[in-house]
Amino acid sequence: MSRFLVRIESEEYDIGLEYRSEKYYATLNGREVEVSFHRLGESRALLLIDGASYEIDVRANGFDNRKAVFMKGMEIPTEVEDYNLAQLRKRAGITSEASVEKVVKASMPGMVVEVRVKPGDAVTAGDPLLVIEAMKMENVIKATSNGAVKDVSVAAGNSVDKGDKLLELE
Amino acid sequence: MTQKITKILVANRGEIAVRIMRACRDMDIRSVAVFSDCDAGAYHVRMADEAYHIGPSPSTESYLVQDKLIEVAKKIGADAIHPGYGFLAENATFAKRCVDEGIIFIGPKAETITTLGDKLQARKAALESGLPVVPGEQLDDDNLNDALEKAHTVGFPVLIKAAAGGGGKGMRVVYSPDDFEEALRSAGNEAGSAFGDSRVFIEKYLERPRHIEFQILCDQHGNAVHLGERECSIQRRHQKLIEESPSPVITEAMRKKMGAAAVNIAQKTGYVGAGTVEFMFVEPDQFYFLEVNTRLQVEHPVTEMVTGLDLVKEQIAIAEGVELSFGQDDLSIVGHAIEYRICAENPEENFMPSTGVLKNYRLPAGPGVRVDSGVVIFSEVPIYYDPLIAKLIVWGKDRNEAISRGRRALEEYRVSGVDTTIGFHRVLMDNETFIRGDLSTKFLEEEYPEHRYSRLNNTYREAAAIAAALHSFTTQRKIRLASSAPKNQQTSAWQARHRRDNLRSFGGDR
Repeated sequence: MSRFLVRIESEEYDIGLEYRSEKYYATLNGREVEVSFHRLGESRALLLIDGASYEIDVRANGFDNRKAVFMKGMEIPTEVEDYNLAQLRKRAGITSEASVEKVVKASMPGMVVEVRVKPGDAVTAGDPLLVIEAMKMENVIKATSNGAVKDVSVAAGNSVDKGDKLLELE
Repeated sequence: MTQKITKILVANRGEIAVRIMRACRDMDIRSVAVFSDCDAGAYHVRMADEAYHIGPSPSTESYLVQDKLIEVAKKIGADAIHPGYGFLAENATFAKRCVDEGIIFIGPKAETITTLGDKLQARKAALESGLPVVPGEQLDDDNLNDALEKAHTVGFPVLIKAAAGGGGKGMRVVYSPDDFEEALRSAGNEAGSAFGDSRVFIEKYLERPRHIEFQILCDQHGNAVHLGERECSIQRRHQKLIEESPSPVITEAMRKKMGAAAVNIAQKTGYVGAGTVEFMFVEPDQFYFLEVNTRLQVEHPVTEMVTGLDLVKEQIAIAEGVELSFGQDDLSIVGHAIEYRICAENPEENFMPSTGVLKNYRLPAGPGVRVDSGVVIFSEVPIYYDPLIAKLIVWGKDRNEAISRGRRALEEYRVSGVDTTIGFHRVLMDNETFIRGDLSTKFLEEEYPEHRYSRLNNTYREAAAIAAALHSFTTQRKIRLASSAPKNQQTSAWQARHRRDNLRSFGGDR
């Protein structure tokens, strides 16, 4: 049996899984649950958990532990670890939380209209950093944490793609 | 003196282009699509009888280029152009050019668009028609001190609005004189880049108004009716998200009074076609004229559902010169309709637009459900245009039945590939304040200050945890299976096929 530790928001779930004679067997926090799993092509599947029906779509984010589960009209961010490795990690006192994001990236393609900060500026969470126009709307990108501006990678008039680095805080 | 229209060029894209083409088909009129580079395979192009390329993806080089549209219309012999909403729908120059070129513009006359499209002139027209307006002031160019003084006269909080505005662009609420200069400048900039007109004016900002609007229809023979109201109070950034008809707070007497006011300003301005007179409403019975939208509105389907009319067909008939086939007394409102705007946006990131390819797209169906969609599975949502991809409209015999059907339909709706507002709408359908009908344009910020719209409970969390673990588990097994395959061994086509099927990933698609 494979054992996983899944984290959703601040809750942790201990999931055991086994595949035998073309069937899946699962435990949830030590309790046996009846699981039936039917692929619907691509990344989608129909999952029956103790008879409750969930049409799910799971997308993994490259090779890290994070996966997005789409179900019931919601996108649920999850983090999956091997259970034993997670226990070792915890005993060593290492947190799995990704460190606070210091690199501010474009969350959509657009054009930089205005840069409100320069390297060295101190910012507090909520301060406007820059303005990006996308889909004809001006969107103000705000600082999500306190810090100082380390460097700015874009200037007004630049086009940016989704994921492009805009600036870095420290 | 009617002129039968036989071929309509639809100068738009997305769901509204598809909507107009459906009406054309119902009326046995040929429909013509135009498309930009990135829309070459778009749904509206597939739906049309004919389609012509008009330029690069940015709308300023395609859907907004009047010369190209007129050129195509003349070349292919279209006798009318339907502008939809947005783009050139409220552009008086374009309306006039169509007429000058002998093409019917499906909309009001150019002069009416000019008068009502300019918010300052519209205010004047409303005052002259005896409609109540919100206290406000016009601003002179570039005189900040004068502007600030006028803001004080009106009294903070004030609302800065673009004279040429619409859709919340160039609009700012200012609570404190300290923020006035910055807001004035950015509103002017946004208005300038969106409309090519940076003039702004200020109004007294009402704190918790409802947005109530009346649909009007006016023919070329002086007949005008209203089709009841729509309540569109659920908004973000001054853009509507949910619209319903009738409003839970408008009584029959109030409907008569406001409807008559709407018809009044339409007749005073010589209005022809379908239009919308917007009001701010403060319970129990105060209303203020906001503006007239001289176009078909995004939310027109809720009116169609409760009146049984097809507004696009009515628009076309009016453009042909046909008289309205009904009077005010022939109209009645049956049941209750709600529209949900399905936008490619992330509600939890302040409705940030989201782009991508629709890997999964499945529409809801069943009793009382209508979907006006501009996309199908594998459609791409490009960055160039409005994020609205579809509208879900539900009808019920009363508001409660409509809400129940809304919940059901939203849960059936499946989209992956882009973020959407579907989950957000589903959460709102459980909101007690919404269910009570206690709405205002402040609804979202009051009810969801943290922008969290989740129905996540422990049962769902457990299911998601099992799904995520299964994904890891099956991925690991897949890797094991692949690496354990013996090398240099002859495999039959059947074995290879079987293996491929086994590897076809649950989760293999990234």
